[in-house]
Amino acid sequence: MLERFHVPGEEIVLVEENRLRHVTEQFFVTQGMSIEDSKIATDVLISSDLRGVETHGVSNMLRAYLGAFRSKNLNPKPNWKIVRETPSCATIDSDAGLGIVVAPKAMEIAIEKAKKTGVGLVSLGNGRHIGMLAYHAMMALEHDMIGTCMASCGPRMVPTFSSEAAIGTNPISYAAPADKLPPFVFDAAMTSVAGNKIVLASRLGVPLEPGWIADKRGNPIMEEVYLNDFPEFENESKNLEQRYSSGNISSAVSLLPFGATREMGSHKGYSMAMVVDILSGILNGNKTAPTGEFTGQGHFLAAYSVEAFIDTKEFKTLMDQYLQSFLDLPSNSEGKEVVYAGFLEAKEQEKRMKQGIPLHPEVIDWFTSMSKELNIDSLV
Amino acid sequence: MLERFHIPEEDEIRVNPEKLREVSEQIFMKCGMNFANSKIATDVLLQADIRGVDTHGVSNMLRNYVMYLTEGSAKPNPLWKITRETESTATVDCDEGLGLVVAPLCMDIAIEKAKKTGVGLVSMGNGRHLGMAGYHAMKALKHDMIGTCMTSSTTNVVPTYASKAGLGTNPIAVAAPALNKAPFVFDAATSAIATNKVRVAQRLGVPLAAGWITDENGNPIMEETSLNIKDDPDEVSNLLQTPVGATREIGSHKGYSLGMVVDILGSILNGSLAGPLRTIKQHQNHFVAAYSIEAFIDTQTFKKMMDEYLQALEDLPPVEGQERVLYAGLIEEETAIERNKKGIPLHPEVINWFESICSELELPFSLVEDKRDN
Repeated sequence: MLERFHVPGEEIVLVEENRLRHVTEQFFVTQGMSIEDSKIATDVLISSDLRGVETHGVSNMLRAYLGAFRSKNLNPKPNWKIVRETPSCATIDSDAGLGIVVAPKAMEIAIEKAKKTGVGLVSLGNGRHIGMLAYHAMMALEHDMIGTCMASCGPRMVPTFSSEAAIGTNPISYAAPADKLPPFVFDAAMTSVAGNKIVLASRLGVPLEPGWIADKRGNPIMEEVYLNDFPEFENESKNLEQRYSSGNISSAVSLLPFGATREMGSHKGYSMAMVVDILSGILNGNKTAPTGEFTGQGHFLAAYSVEAFIDTKEFKTLMDQYLQSFLDLPSNSEGKEVVYAGFLEAKEQEKRMKQGIPLHPEVIDWFTSMSKELNIDSLV
Repeated sequence: MLERFHIPEEDEIRVNPEKLREVSEQIFMKCGMNFANSKIATDVLLQADIRGVDTHGVSNMLRNYVMYLTEGSAKPNPLWKITRETESTATVDCDEGLGLVVAPLCMDIAIEKAKKTGVGLVSMGNGRHLGMAGYHAMKALKHDMIGTCMTSSTTNVVPTYASKAGLGTNPIAVAAPALNKAPFVFDAATSAIATNKVRVAQRLGVPLAAGWITDENGNPIMEETSLNIKDDPDEVSNLLQTPVGATREIGSHKGYSLGMVVDILGSILNGSLAGPLRTIKQHQNHFVAAYSIEAFIDTQTFKKMMDEYLQALEDLPPVEGQERVLYAGLIEEETAIERNKKGIPLHPEVINWFESICSELELPFSLVEDKRDN
């Protein structure tokens, strides 16, 4: 994440991982989840907080899920099932269950298939929020596999040349194992920034970069702007519970595909978002955002067995050499270290497991009132 | 393609696709290809010209292939082979053959596997240039499958924050069928633009847009800039390019990382060196995949939903100053219909190249007739 999205040092409250885990599990149980599912869901959320991906951790997501549970948009006990299957593929109906519960189970199916045929693909319809995609892709790593995860989301991105938002932020994640270096873990929205980053920017009061959002008519805003300079945009960090009742976080802020303008390649971000809709949505019959009939996320998961293609040891050694060669590249005039996707996140995880997870005071306040209201243990 | 890359109408010479096919096949055979390979290779090139992807058609690429084949950096008739295989996957050694020839055959393998297990993936090492990636992905369409093709290519893209190139332009293509509408066919470099576009810009004398290349220290140039290079394609390919996204703030790390995904699947998975470690310039490795739609859902349901989806995007009200909202593959399909009727527009410089290469290879030059007719 860019520096600006981190909670400012003087405001940080450090919370120990296990404490946060404990309270979060209790929270999910109060919403009707089984203990087993609440543990899975919590692991996905805490993993993002540990990796420094706080856009998808407890601070943004718990209150959003609470709103959706209350509006009956989330099924706490989904009876998900495989509706079609081949040796390498499966189609799943998620039964309106949270992706943070159903996707880890579906990824296990993909991994089992990949053990037998070399690859496993699972397309899931009728799903709900999937959390940090990388969690699911990374499940493949310990099996020496390459993992993929994609999510077809509600309307938020303005397609190239369109005057209105129509397609999801539709993130893509890939994870590939290395030997000694941290694994390659890519996880990004096909918009310039993830929708949840707008929430963070609102909470922290930081500016948005040129090329992130569109104006009311769909034109790319190519200068730095503050959200509160636009009377039509509410503070995105407020009312998360209300705004997440229809299966996705509704927002008046339209996002640009990554690339921002046609000349710089926005059609690539837009088209990659379409690939995600096709694999995660249409391939399982889930309604996509542009048709106007979107009701919940669709997901696509894949596991590729490395050993099916090459000796795993050789692959991992090559990966180490490959990743190291990027770390060794000299910096341009900005003077920032060259890294690869997953490198900083692995470092951050090591640090946060020791020091705790930094939360914004506003988030602590929410936890305090939530635990009182739901009658569960308090965080601090 | 952006308007600036089109040949000005007053310069273009329309050539009959079948004549162009015939000449190209003969040129490939003169360079040592057998009959079957020359037909496969030509079809890939010609599809690019017919679909309006001029960057990857005969005008830009044929001269490079002639060079590779005559200097011996690519084998005209490679003895490619499968080195490892499972029910759904294969690893292929291309034996220095052009991807133009080997990739269509590997895509056939992927499709056969997908018929049995639902999906087929092939990672291809020791390869050479494969032309328009979209061609190979599109092979899946007539089997009611989704096709993918990626190429881990020559290093000229600067990773986010770096001062040197570390990555290829590493294109990704994905094709998915629809019912009555033009299929979705996405095919794009993970750099801001394809290197071949820089060559086209040079030929047409048009400037490069902001965010396409970096200065010699790897800093993205965020204003329009002109090339000061005359007639030297080698110097053009030494230019440093940006990943799509241009700067970290607009998302260059996404283009950079997608480029790495292509390296991992296309190169490392078959044991090839990639990225900053790459040593042989002409070395290109590939990844192709086919996903059977019927393995996931009734094909008819999928195609109907695709039509609705594509139509919904087309029906979006356009932003001021634009006529319509497009999706990847739509313009290309329209162009193919037009060019099949009216011929393929070539730049006079390209016609001249054909004349000289044909005389050099002692081939009767059949494109000349078109020129006289006009």
